[in-house]
Amino acid sequence: MASSLKALLVEDIKVDSMVLSFMLRRFHCEVTLAKNGKEAVDMFLEGNKFDIVLCDKDMPIMTGPEAVIKIRAMGATDVKIVGVSADDNAMEAFMSAGADDFVPKPMRLEVLGPMIEEVINRKNN
Amino acid sequence: MAAPMLNQPNSLLANMFAAGLLDDQFQELQMLQEGSAPDFIVKVVTLFCEDGERIIGEIAKLLDKPCVDYDKVGGFVRQLKGSSASIGALRVKNSCIQFHQCCQEKSKDGCVNSLDSVRNDFYDLCSMFKLHASAGPAGAGLPKQ
Repeated sequence: MASSLKALLVEDIKVDSMVLSFMLRRFHCEVTLAKNGKEAVDMFLEGNKFDIVLCDKDMPIMTGPEAVIKIRAMGATDVKIVGVSADDNAMEAFMSAGADDFVPKPMRLEVLGPMIEEVINRKNN
Repeated sequence: MAAPMLNQPNSLLANMFAAGLLDDQFQELQMLQEGSAPDFIVKVVTLFCEDGERIIGEIAKLLDKPCVDYDKVGGFVRQLKGSSASIGALRVKNSCIQFHQCCQEKSKDGCVNSLDSVRNDFYDLCSMFKLHASAGPAGAGLPKQ
């Protein structure tokens, strides 16, 4: 599947970041990394545009749901935001913050693939 | 060129799965590695072992203090649990889940015992990975130290 999607990966755990980045690049995404919610918000404040955001929940300085609230409040309503966490309470936190979807960790290729395809189709239409 | 060891049937790897050290997430990483990135698992495992060692060291320092900051300890345990789950380090992940429970209960004894369990499981796993790496050409897929 060919894609030129711009993906923002918001993740403080280095191993998780490496694995998720690799998965995204496997689907030919251009990956930008943020180590916490604040860095993610700053990316948007600086005018960067993304097609998809994969966001962990618990991070230093600013959590994933907090970042999602701020990103949506900036008017970034088109970007697909996916919460990714092993926390049992994460889904509710992300969805009420304005995320589009939630995937429990660890992420699998068979889950990520259809999400990427959906974003590509939406972008092309 | 020989295929990376981790893509070939390997009795040591099979034993690691059978012993509950690894779960199917590791197989997911093996699938990711296929084709374009023969050194992907080497890099991830190396990072896991190095970062895990750092995290365990930080937890030990925190538990050594007379007044333990259980939130900080819990934060580090969360990191190790997360990275364990990402590479399929099943036993380490499960030890971290138990450890997290002790942090929430603010149990010093529980945390100290849990740290021992996590440390043992972590070093068992990393030792097995290093054993792979030292197994000549067949072990070329993993970090050597």
